[in-house]
Amino acid sequence: MSKGIKPVRLKYTVIGRRSTLLSIALFILFILLSNQFDAYNQSQLANIATLLIAVFSITLLTGASGQISLGQGAIMAVGGYGSALLVTRLGLSMWLAFILAIFISALFGLFLGLAAARLSGPYLAGTTLVMALAIPSIAVRFESFFSGDVGLSVDYGVPPTWLSNLVGEISIEQWSLYVVLPFTAIALFAVLNLSNTRTGRTWRAVRDNEVSAALSGINIARTKVIVFVCASGLAGLAGALYGFRGLVAPSVYPTDLSLTLLTAAVIGGLRSIGGAIFGTFVIVFLPDIIEKITANIEIPETIGNYLPSLTIGILLLLTVILNPRGAAGALEHARHRRKH
Amino acid sequence: MTSFLTAFFSGTAQGAIYALVSLGLVLVWRGAGVVNFAQMGQAMFTTYIASQMIQNNYSYWTAFVVALICGAALGALVDLGLMRPLTSRKNSKLLNSQSMRTTIPVIASLGILGVLKSLAGIFWAGEERGFPSPVAPNAIKIGETNLAITGFDLFVIGAVFITLVLTTIFFTKTGMGLAMRASALNPEVTRLSGIKVGSVRTLGWAISGTASSLAGLLVTPRTNLSPNTLDLLLIVGFTAAVVGGLSSLMGSVLGGFILGYVISFVNVYSAPENVFIAILVFLLLALFIRPQGILGSKEVRRV
Repeated sequence: MSKGIKPVRLKYTVIGRRSTLLSIALFILFILLSNQFDAYNQSQLANIATLLIAVFSITLLTGASGQISLGQGAIMAVGGYGSALLVTRLGLSMWLAFILAIFISALFGLFLGLAAARLSGPYLAGTTLVMALAIPSIAVRFESFFSGDVGLSVDYGVPPTWLSNLVGEISIEQWSLYVVLPFTAIALFAVLNLSNTRTGRTWRAVRDNEVSAALSGINIARTKVIVFVCASGLAGLAGALYGFRGLVAPSVYPTDLSLTLLTAAVIGGLRSIGGAIFGTFVIVFLPDIIEKITANIEIPETIGNYLPSLTIGILLLLTVILNPRGAAGALEHARHRRKH
Repeated sequence: MTSFLTAFFSGTAQGAIYALVSLGLVLVWRGAGVVNFAQMGQAMFTTYIASQMIQNNYSYWTAFVVALICGAALGALVDLGLMRPLTSRKNSKLLNSQSMRTTIPVIASLGILGVLKSLAGIFWAGEERGFPSPVAPNAIKIGETNLAITGFDLFVIGAVFITLVLTTIFFTKTGMGLAMRASALNPEVTRLSGIKVGSVRTLGWAISGTASSLAGLLVTPRTNLSPNTLDLLLIVGFTAAVVGGLSSLMGSVLGGFILGYVISFVNVYSAPENVFIAILVFLLLALFIRPQGILGSKEVRRV
């Protein structure tokens, strides 16, 4: 064997270790947090863990590859209905249904991506927004199959006895978190790895300059389709988990859900996975925090009802104006300045 | 035959409103390269202002004019306060990226939409309320037979027709209209020939705000007014703009009427719950068959 050339140690083995550690850290962090919380905040934590997967899909789609989607909520609905139908009609196990939901919505994402590869910017935004309105209405249109506005009732079931024996009594709220959390950790692992490998670099090249990416031998259309398939798989999984909180119905996946997810991603920082986690915490907990602050002040009910959405809207505008890279960008900027 | 006539006339009246929305979107898109998703949020807000004035015993027409002026002011404010600083910023690393330059204004317009909706909720409690129309919404009668067209339909068609004529005169006969067309075509050359491209762009936002404000005033007597009523109008207007070609003013008006007929005929001959699906299918068909739109030219399509 020749001595001179040593095989280059591939970088992604190191990255794999880092992302594994981070995913486990997230898992432990959520478990520790949930032990401190009351039942309501535990279910909020489960909400965060669920929505986080959907926000990751936006981090991939918009942050990593520069394609905007205002219809992630509709893809969540596809995953939600897919899994709920598998469980209620075919009697599949919940876990299998969650995994199949990834494939169902990824397949949907394939078709969407084929359309999206021809579109960009505002065309894509508008088309996905139309989709966000149209998809839930399909459930109403084909009422006998999707059971219309009433929706399909599904839930996480009860915790298995071996787990209760292991860690003691498990409340419904804790169980919902335990169901969701493994998926969140795996999603984080996948997203961290994707963004640091060749695939992720290809996506960023397409995002920053399509012409130069094409000149470097990247197939633009194929890349866009792959991004949509991955992001839709994630969003579909999130939608399935979101629906199993109790109900899969058109009202569970409104247009506002799509916009809320995008807001979370933007506030935290579109290009940062840590930012996605931060943004999701903000949009889920902000209404509670505002309610706590205003509890002592006499304000009319109408203002109280709209204060959270107003605050989130203003936060979004301020982010876009002052620092489009979001909280993560601001943090990086501050760190950068301290160094010099 | 009666149902055909009903669908045709209500399609014309609806299509006229869609044409206004779509015209507003295209004006801003041509001028600033932004699709303003907050447009119907602005219209919702000005319609609430009009509604408030009517409640305070002002006449319908005073409220009507004030709403249009507020629409223009709001449109100009969005451009001056947000879009212009946003697009002129060069030092941001994020905005160096090609795709982000179009994405960030879209997100900004969604932020405005969210803020306007919440403000409307705070000021006007957010419950659904009716909005008056200046003419009775009863069917016009000739002798004993009811015609398929209502007086209100005629009013809508008339108002939109006047607006379209005024817009056409503005763009073809006045210097300002010429400047606007020039700066949409080539901002750099226009600036070099001494025209303030920035001000022209703001004027475009103002006209767009007025047009959508008018659309809000014309549609709410039928749909009632709530912070979310006009969302559907934006979706339809966007589809109409894409069908007509996002860069063509004539195309956008044509697209609006086509969408009016599509929705109206689906409503009459099929079922109302099919409307959303029909819009999505129609949009996808338009994008696949003729992505540059009916009247759009291939070169200017920024895709």
